[in-house]
Amino acid sequence: MKSLRTRSLFFLSVLLVLVTVLSPVAAQDTTTLRWSIEGITDVVSLDPARATDAQGFTVIGLLHAGLVRLSGDLLVEPDLAESWEISEDGLTYTFTLREGAAFSDGSPITAADVVWSFTHALDPSTGAWTGPYLLSNIVGSDELVAGETTELSGVVALDDRTVQISVKQPSAYFLSQLTFGPSKIVSSAAVEASPDTWDQAAVTSGAFSVAEWNRGQGLVLVPNTFYWQPASQLSQLEIVFNQDSETAYQLFRTGELDIMGGAQNPIPAARVPEVRDSADFRSTNAFNVRYVAFNNTLPPFDDVRVRQAFSHATDRATLAEIVLDGTVLATDRILPPGMPGSEAPVAGLEYNPAGAQALLAEAGVDPASLELVLSYGVEGDNERIVTVLQAMWQENLGITVTLDPLELSTFSSRLNDTYNDPSTGLQAYYSVWGTIYPDPQYFLSQILQTDVGNNNGHYSNAEFDALTQEADVITDDYARRIELYNQAEQIAVSEVGWLTLFNGQVNVLVRECVEGVEVTGLFSAYVVPDFSALRGCPAA
Amino acid sequence: MLPIIFRRFISLPFVLLAVTFLTFIVSYLAPGDPILSLMGNQRDPVIYERLRTIYGLDLPWYEQYVRYIGGLLQGDLGLSFRFAQRPVIDLLRDGLAVSFGLGVTALSLSVLIGVPLGLIAALNHDTVIERGVMALILALYAIPSFVLIPMLQWLNYQVYLAAGSALPAAGWGRPEHWVMPTIVLSAASLGYIARVTRASVREELRQDYIRTARSKGLAERRVRWVHMFRNALLPILTVIGPAIAFLVTGAFVVESLFSIPGVGFLSVQAISQRDYPVIQGTTVILAFSVVVMNLITDLLYSVIDPRVRVDG
Repeated sequence: MKSLRTRSLFFLSVLLVLVTVLSPVAAQDTTTLRWSIEGITDVVSLDPARATDAQGFTVIGLLHAGLVRLSGDLLVEPDLAESWEISEDGLTYTFTLREGAAFSDGSPITAADVVWSFTHALDPSTGAWTGPYLLSNIVGSDELVAGETTELSGVVALDDRTVQISVKQPSAYFLSQLTFGPSKIVSSAAVEASPDTWDQAAVTSGAFSVAEWNRGQGLVLVPNTFYWQPASQLSQLEIVFNQDSETAYQLFRTGELDIMGGAQNPIPAARVPEVRDSADFRSTNAFNVRYVAFNNTLPPFDDVRVRQAFSHATDRATLAEIVLDGTVLATDRILPPGMPGSEAPVAGLEYNPAGAQALLAEAGVDPASLELVLSYGVEGDNERIVTVLQAMWQENLGITVTLDPLELSTFSSRLNDTYNDPSTGLQAYYSVWGTIYPDPQYFLSQILQTDVGNNNGHYSNAEFDALTQEADVITDDYARRIELYNQAEQIAVSEVGWLTLFNGQVNVLVRECVEGVEVTGLFSAYVVPDFSALRGCPAA
Repeated sequence: MLPIIFRRFISLPFVLLAVTFLTFIVSYLAPGDPILSLMGNQRDPVIYERLRTIYGLDLPWYEQYVRYIGGLLQGDLGLSFRFAQRPVIDLLRDGLAVSFGLGVTALSLSVLIGVPLGLIAALNHDTVIERGVMALILALYAIPSFVLIPMLQWLNYQVYLAAGSALPAAGWGRPEHWVMPTIVLSAASLGYIARVTRASVREELRQDYIRTARSKGLAERRVRWVHMFRNALLPILTVIGPAIAFLVTGAFVVESLFSIPGVGFLSVQAISQRDYPVIQGTTVILAFSVVVMNLITDLLYSVIDPRVRVDG
C-alpha cells in the first residue's frame, strides 16, 4: 500500500510539474501589490454607509477619504479637510475642504457632498447600523434615523468649501469617530444615479478607485489621480478574498500574495512557528481584550469581594503562556497595550488563591454551595479557555463551575436578554471586546458606565461614571483626560467590573519588500499613512 | 415516453416544496436571533425593528413562508442578511455558473478516467495490474478532499521550492486555477465510478450470452465492445446520479479551500454567518439540480436499455 501511495503521489507530481511547465508563467508586474483579505467570500458593500464588516472597511479605507483620517501613529490628521476649528463650547466643528479636492471622475468634492454623505450614512432606507451607532452625537441624527425627517440638521454647508457639524455634547473622540467607514465622503451624483449598485464601479474620494470587482474573488484597484496626495506608484492593487486563512497562507508561500492576515483572521496559529523568524512576519498587539463579566445584579456577584475572589483565583500568566502557547498577552487591566491611555499604569489583582478564598469567606459565601454557570459563544479557542477557567476556579475557590456553550447567535440573544432583564439573564459570560477607533472611551465609557448599551453585566459605580463622563468631553487637555480615564480604569479593575484575561495578537505576513503599510491593533489592522509611499515587490 | 417526463415534472414542484418547507422551518426554529447577531454590539432598538421589518421577520411564520414561496415563483430568493440586503439570486447567479462548470468538468473527468480504469481492472482480473488499479481507485475513493487538498498543496509547494513557480494554490480566473480543484473534486467520484465499472463488467463477463458469443467464434474484441460493454454501461449510468451528490458535497470543501467563487463557497460562509436566506436559496437550487440530474439519468437509462421503462 505504501508503495502504491508513493506511486500515486508520483503520478500527481508529474501531472503538477507538467501543468506548471505548460501553463504560461503569470507575468508579475513590479508595481502590483497583491493583498489577501481573509474570512470572507466577498465584502458586504463598498458603500461606506452600508458596509458592516471589518474586511469591507479595510477596502473602503483605500477607496474613500473622510474629512480626517488616522496617521500611522493612530492620531487624527487632515484628509479631505485641510483644517478645522472647534468652538469654545466644543459643540461646533467647522471644516475647510482642500482647494481642488475632487472625486475619481474629476468632479469637485464640495461641502454639499459632505452634507449628503453624512445624511446617507444615517439614512434609514439603507438598513445600516454602523453610521447611526458611530454618528449618534451629531445633532439631528436620531430624528433622521427614526425616519421623522430626511434632513440632517447638524451638518450644514456654509459655502462650497466650508462645512459645519454640530454635536449634542462635547466629545474628545468625535474626530476619531470621523476617521471610520460611515464618515467617508461619497459622490452624491454617483450614488443618486444608481443608489443600489453605484459601489460596483465606485466613483471614489480616496487614494484608489475600482477597476474591477470580481464577485466572490476580489477587486482590482487603480490609483485615483484626483486624490489630493500624490498618487500611489502602484499600477494596481489586487485585493484577493480567501475564506480560509490556510488557503491564503498557501498562496503567500508560493509567491502569489504580498500581504495576508488581519485582526480577525490572523495567519493560522499552527503556522506561526514556521514563519515567526521570517522577515515577512509582523506581529502587534490587537486592540481587543478577552474577559469574563459577572451579572452584578445577581447575588453573590453584587458583592465586590466575590468578584475580586474570582480575579485573584485566575492565573492569567499560565493561561496566556502555557495554555495558549504565548500567542496572546496576559492582562489584568482593561485598555490594551498601545491604546492611547494605556501608557498610564493600572494595578491589577494578582494571582493569589489563598487571598481569593479569604475574600469568599469574608463575603459569607460557602464555596461548596456556590454554583457558577459560565456562558460563552462556541467559536475559535473559546472552549479551551473556559475549560481552563473552570479548572482554575474549581481548584482555587472550591466552587462548582458549569460551562454553558451557546451557538453564537443564541449567545448574542442571551446577552441582549441579560441587558434588558438581568434578573433572568446570564450569571457570567466569557467574551471579547475590540475597538474600531483608538480611544479609551470605547473601552471604558462604552462598556462599564451605568446602564450603557454594552454593559450587559450591569456593573455600576458612581465615581467611575463621573470620571469617565468628565473625560469623554475634554477636548483640549489630553493629559488631564488620560488621567481621569486612568483613575476610572483603576476603579473598574479593583472592583472587577470586568475580569480581563488577555489581549490578542495581530499576526500577519507582509513581504519584506512591501513599503508603506503599517500594521496596527485596530479592527481593520492596516493603516497606509502616505499612499504615494506604498510600494509592491519587484518581479521575482 | 413524453407522459412520463411530464409526470416527473409534475412531481418536481412537490419535491421542491418539501425542500423549501424543511429549510425554512429549520431556519425559523434555529435558536438565536439572526438580526441581533448581525448587529453585534451595535444594537439600536429602532434599527433592529426596522431590519426585522425589511426581512419580514416580524410576521408570523406561515406568512413568512407564503411570502418566501411567492417570491420563489417569481425567481426571488429573498434578501441576504449579511450582504446588506442584496438579493440572494444576485449572489448565487454567478456562483452557479462557476460551480456548474467545475462540476461538469470533474464529472466528465471521473467518467473519462474512471470507466477505462474500471475496465482495465476487470479485464485483467487476478493480475498485478488489477491490484494496482484497484489500490489507486480505493485510495482516491477513500481519501477525503480535506486530506487530499493539503497533500496536493504540500506537493505544489515542493514544486515551487524546486522550480521557482508552481500552480496557483487557490483562486479563480486563469486556466491553471482549474487543475487542482478538478483533481480533488473528481477524485472521489472517479474512484466510485471505476469501482462500479469494474464490478459491472465482471458481472457481465460471467453472463451466458458472452459465453454464447465466444462459442459462436466471435472475435474477443467484438465480444467485449459490442456485446458486453453496452450492457455493462447500464449500472454505471445509474451511479452518475449519486456521483453528482459527491460533487455537490465535495464542492463545499473544494470551493472553500481553493477560494473559488461558486455556490459551495458562498454556502459555507452563509452557514457560518447564519445568513438564512442564502442557505435556503442554495439548498433549493442544489435540490433542484440533483432532482433534474436524476431525471436526466433515468431518461438516458431508458435510451440505452430499451427494456427499461421510466415509470414515473
